[in-house]
Amino acid sequence: MRYKMKLTMREPTTAVGFVVAIIFAYLILLPVLSILLDAVKVQLGDARRIGGEVGDGTLYYLHRTFLSPVAQNFFWGPLKNTLSVALGAILLSFLIGTPLAWLLSRTDMFARRWFATALIVPYMLPSWTFALAWTTLFKNRTVGGQQGWLEAMGMTPPDWMSYGQFPITIILSLHYAPFIILLLGNGLRRLDSQLEDSARILGATRGQIAVQILLPLMRPALFSAALLIFAKCLGDFGVTYVLGLPVQFDVLATSLYRSIGSRQTGVAGVLAGSIMAMGIVALLIDAYVVREARRFVTVGSKGSMDRKSQLKKWRIPATGFAAVIFIISVGLPVLTLTLSTIMFVPAKFTLDNFTLQYWIGTDLETVAMRTGILLAPDMWSAAWNTLRIVGTAAVSAGFLGLLVGYVVVRTPFRPLSTFLRHVTFLPYLVPGIAFAAAYLSLFAVSHGPVPALYGTTAILILALTADQMPYASRAGISAMMQLGKEPEEAAQVAGAGWVRRMRSIVIPIQKRSLVTGVLLPFISGIKGLSLFVMLAVPSTDVLTTYSLRLIDYNYTQAANAVVLIIAAVAYFGTLLAQRLTNTNLAEGLGG
Amino acid sequence: MPTIALSQVRKTYPGSSTDAVRSLDLEIADGEFMCLLGPSGCGKTTTLRMIAGLENLSAGELRIGDRVVDSAVESTFVPPEDRKLGLVFQSYALWPHLTIERNTDFGLRLRKVPKAERIKRTDDVMRALGIEQYRDRYPSQLSGGQQQRVALARMLAVSPGVLLLDEPLSNLDARLRLEMRAELKRIHGKFGTTIVFVTHDQWEAMTLATTIAVMNDGVIQQMGTPDDIYERPANRFVAEFVGSPPINLIEQNAKTPIAAAIDSYLDGRLHDVGAVALTGIRPEAIVLHTDAKDVPQDSFNLRAEIEGVLPTGGSWIVEVRAGGQLLFMTTHVAPTLSAGDDVTMVVEPAAFHLFDTDGQRMLNADKALGRSA
Repeated sequence: MRYKMKLTMREPTTAVGFVVAIIFAYLILLPVLSILLDAVKVQLGDARRIGGEVGDGTLYYLHRTFLSPVAQNFFWGPLKNTLSVALGAILLSFLIGTPLAWLLSRTDMFARRWFATALIVPYMLPSWTFALAWTTLFKNRTVGGQQGWLEAMGMTPPDWMSYGQFPITIILSLHYAPFIILLLGNGLRRLDSQLEDSARILGATRGQIAVQILLPLMRPALFSAALLIFAKCLGDFGVTYVLGLPVQFDVLATSLYRSIGSRQTGVAGVLAGSIMAMGIVALLIDAYVVREARRFVTVGSKGSMDRKSQLKKWRIPATGFAAVIFIISVGLPVLTLTLSTIMFVPAKFTLDNFTLQYWIGTDLETVAMRTGILLAPDMWSAAWNTLRIVGTAAVSAGFLGLLVGYVVVRTPFRPLSTFLRHVTFLPYLVPGIAFAAAYLSLFAVSHGPVPALYGTTAILILALTADQMPYASRAGISAMMQLGKEPEEAAQVAGAGWVRRMRSIVIPIQKRSLVTGVLLPFISGIKGLSLFVMLAVPSTDVLTTYSLRLIDYNYTQAANAVVLIIAAVAYFGTLLAQRLTNTNLAEGLGG
Repeated sequence: MPTIALSQVRKTYPGSSTDAVRSLDLEIADGEFMCLLGPSGCGKTTTLRMIAGLENLSAGELRIGDRVVDSAVESTFVPPEDRKLGLVFQSYALWPHLTIERNTDFGLRLRKVPKAERIKRTDDVMRALGIEQYRDRYPSQLSGGQQQRVALARMLAVSPGVLLLDEPLSNLDARLRLEMRAELKRIHGKFGTTIVFVTHDQWEAMTLATTIAVMNDGVIQQMGTPDDIYERPANRFVAEFVGSPPINLIEQNAKTPIAAAIDSYLDGRLHDVGAVALTGIRPEAIVLHTDAKDVPQDSFNLRAEIEGVLPTGGSWIVEVRAGGQLLFMTTHVAPTLSAGDDVTMVVEPAAFHLFDTDGQRMLNADKALGRSA
């Protein structure tokens, strides 16, 4: 036993592993536990109402959230809205995504390769970009500020069209349809077309093949996509924030945001716990389905015979369908936002109405924001903050991810490897908004040597790093799996110590995957909203929260311009990542 | 049972500049066990898929019985589901989500065969192939050989008049392959089906087929019985492709001593048959003699030196160098020779295969050399 310990500890791998494990226990496990504890402990300011001291155990918050007269507002109403929006989004994205997945993977539609990338773009852009585009078009007089285009053209859209469930569902389904396209498309591409040929030979029609062969075989992929969309909708904050507020349409994420805003920490804990629980259940079911699906894997297949169906006379209509979806989900929103930033008055298409002043103007007639967005110091400080915060977090996540990968693959101490794998994956199960709430709960006050971090950039960097660990650690583990021990052992025999080996062997070999491990968290961090909206204060504004503030103050053009900048960074960043890694987004899915 | 006839069939895949199959004429008679043999990419699988209806023709006509099922001229196309054929893939392509039984009775269900009859026919075919004990399992729980049987059962259940097999044995190990070969021959006899079989394995073709069509570059090189193909290869390609170890080929224009020796030997026997560009000798047609006295009078003979003896288990491959060229010969008698020994190699005149400058077999030379047509 002692000999075994000695051998285990001889290499610093395991020691390093323990240090990393402690860091993640602190950065990931502790915040999650903390917010869950908040739910059952008497919070500051509630002591008199509940009776008992601050910190005593209580079921008050559970009761308040689930059973009290206000439970409807806190939990049940938002839950119903969350579920109906998520289900609607799943249904609609299936309707859009299924035919597209088939067209892209199995037919001779025109410009297939181009569409294969173009139709994924909605997922590269932040979801609330679409929400802003929607308000730009459909905003009605229920809310003040600049008019929507339809309103400006004399048509007042009804409330149900402008705000709430209808637009939220549409936007989320357009945003998550790429999930279906990717997952189902991959499934279809990998499917041996001889399975269909065999059925045809035996006399099955296309319809019978679709129902009896394709559908059952694709069921795991479809189910998986549905659960992922569900988990993502659960945590989506921005879309509902923009479109739900005017008609008091709350989902769980916004309800959590409100309860934090109104300092109801206990209720927030319960809500965050509920969101987490649902997210975890959804992803556990997904893991189970994926495992079950493996039972069906055929052995001895020589892989798909990649033969495309010929659409013949349907070729043009099919291409048209894909084009329409692209225009609705990418072209229209981006165009709308762009136009809105160069027009004084909405939807008045005369030459004198166009201007670049919202981008580069000076001495505008507004109260604040007297310069164009590109000249606004606030914008640049937000941009600098973004770069600094997201950049630092992404680089830390990338290196930690590689380190986790190294330890997981190399340590002889199995429990450590298992722990690291799971703890770094945990944030994936926790919607961003709940994770942010967890951070707030832990770091808002000082604990021992750690000062209160609220309002600092440190808390943003820490939270963001932790939040991005699922992607970074997965990238690191898979990269290390592919690197055999031999290069390192050769260096070891040549006399190189551990640090030297890391520096001269491992990191240079893994350079490429390290770049991905940094870039993917960076992109995802740039467009992420829910973490920042909870943790940022005006002095630590990043681009996303800055644009949200601009919306709140009705500087529509400026807000849209900032959103366009974010979208552009996210889009080109993704392209760069794909170019660097020679992948299609399919693998980086989920970010 | 119908005859399958392809006439002047051409197939070009979209986006490809070369033809996968060009001007193919092929007739497969009722009850035949036809083998399409050729290297990969020769168009044999494409031909099979066209017969099945999974590919359409670019030109030409395909008939099954007296029905035109695919014709580029008349633009008729009968889809695969209406051709009443069976097709077994190399990868078997079993449906992984259905049990063995459901895989087998899939076609019968589609045809809405009454339940009692469906069960009986499914049972019959599963028993015939020895898979009835796996009926409730899923394909992934079966071994390769068992999966192969299910793939066959699935097609045989609907009693197709024609069974198409696309390299069905190439994923099996050697022993199973032997077993399945016997099985296929039994099925051919028992069910009376016409079988069209695609393979790149000459042994498979030789042992199974009643007729072999050797294909290369999208063209049929030779069609005939296995015996024909081996004994009278129609051209250089067939001669080289069939036979293992491969046929010994001597370029007559290479100015090697062996070429000169063959030239002078044949010269007296051939009259006005044209220029011989290439001579072929099968490895088993070469006999080695250590004593010059034993050499038969009328045969071709040449001094040779042993380069190596390779035992292959029950038979031997002997490498000899004769007249500046390395030749292979095979023997079933344990050779007492070893590398470096001097011998005389002897070849009967009828064992020479002669090819002209186009690589075509010189048929008139066969007669002159006393080779039966």
